[in-house]
Amino acid sequence: MEFSYYPGCTLTGSAKELNDSFKMAAAKLDVTLKELPDWTCCGASSAHMVDSFLETALPARDLVKANDFGKDVVAPCAACHVRMKAAAMRLKEDAGLQKQFPFDSKIRVLSGIEMFHEPEVLAKLKERVQKPLEGLKVVPYYGCLAVRPTDVVQPDDPENPMQMDRILEATGATVLSWPYKTDCCGGSLALTITDMVLKLSQKILDMALLVEADAIVTMCPMCQANLDTRQADISKATGKNYSIPILYVTELIGMALNSGEARAWLGKHLVPADTMLSAKGLL
Amino acid sequence: MQQSITTPAKTSHVADLTSVINQCYQCSKCSAGCPVAPEMDLLPHQMVRLAVLGQKERIEKSKSICLCLTCHTCGARCPNGIDVPALLDPIRHQMLQEGKPSPIPEVTVFHTAFMKTIRTFGRVHELFLIGIYKWKTKTFMADRELGMKMFSKGKIHIWPHWAKDAGKVKDLFKQSSLR
Repeated sequence: MEFSYYPGCTLTGSAKELNDSFKMAAAKLDVTLKELPDWTCCGASSAHMVDSFLETALPARDLVKANDFGKDVVAPCAACHVRMKAAAMRLKEDAGLQKQFPFDSKIRVLSGIEMFHEPEVLAKLKERVQKPLEGLKVVPYYGCLAVRPTDVVQPDDPENPMQMDRILEATGATVLSWPYKTDCCGGSLALTITDMVLKLSQKILDMALLVEADAIVTMCPMCQANLDTRQADISKATGKNYSIPILYVTELIGMALNSGEARAWLGKHLVPADTMLSAKGLL
Repeated sequence: MQQSITTPAKTSHVADLTSVINQCYQCSKCSAGCPVAPEMDLLPHQMVRLAVLGQKERIEKSKSICLCLTCHTCGARCPNGIDVPALLDPIRHQMLQEGKPSPIPEVTVFHTAFMKTIRTFGRVHELFLIGIYKWKTKTFMADRELGMKMFSKGKIHIWPHWAKDAGKVKDLFKQSSLR
């Protein structure tokens, strides 16, 4: 299978390990990713707060490039995915914008989870797992933008999505049932209203610990950053010691497919995962 | 006083928005599910009511317009399909265009700084973004330790990635209210 690939800004910066593991996992499952030439920022969680034209125009530039290539476009970052999909919807309704950004809606905009959940890709994953992640108990954390706004994302189930669960099951990990799959970690207010974000992220960590998860797994770089990088602050604020690894689902796919690069990806996280994974014989 | 919620570029959406928020029967399911409701001075269902009554200026003065995370939990659970962020976004745009003060200035500074990095490089450069934000809010000490840790992990780059098409992105800004 072949897709257009829109990495987005975060994957070239603070979420480089998502970019690396995503590409490696895709390659091992015969998925060809063709990066959009000269892509630019989608506007993320700020453009829609500031200006209604830019909210659509910024991702529309990239959509037009994907349209020209003619293949479905994949955006691993949850925010990029939502912005592109929302722009695609608006272009369909707004003839003026459509004229400036010719996008004929023939291609789909897929999230990273959706791409690995494509029947052909998921079947290959099941077939090719070399090192099943036996004994690893995980909670799938989709976050907000993997399911909402629901009219834009059109998820399988906005309260209890299952696509990442199925991907993780295919890797051999034990997927625990928990209630905070789609709760908000505090998103883009981490830098501005930090105390509030710490409380929201703590709630998610506490539930994962309560159900005795070894790790929280996500595809959203904003969720990963909040939950991973803020654990030291949450420990300081509460006097408890938080140290639960926050992993990208693609890192686990890569590990199950026996990629030799797992240590490099995991080494980018602030909360270390290698001791826990080595103890289980998975690294 | 009646004030319509409108931005020039969203005229077609405004008619939809008004007819949608008029469906609200104040069940307050939005407020029950809102993760930041405990911190808000106006709850989501109250903001919808004020919007129906045309009392936009009370929303503009409320911290809630900045606290809303746009997580869209409200919209996913509303029995009438009302998404509070979709109501707040045009109000936010209008406030910026009219130069109205932000109830939590840091939040507005952050989003404006974010847009500035896109305008400059065509892509977001995290260090530039943090730099502008910290300069404007004079919060140099906050998160310093975390910043160093992230830098040592290679998560923060000193040099920006310039998009080749950065000039074309600048042209888009010229067509917007941020020109």
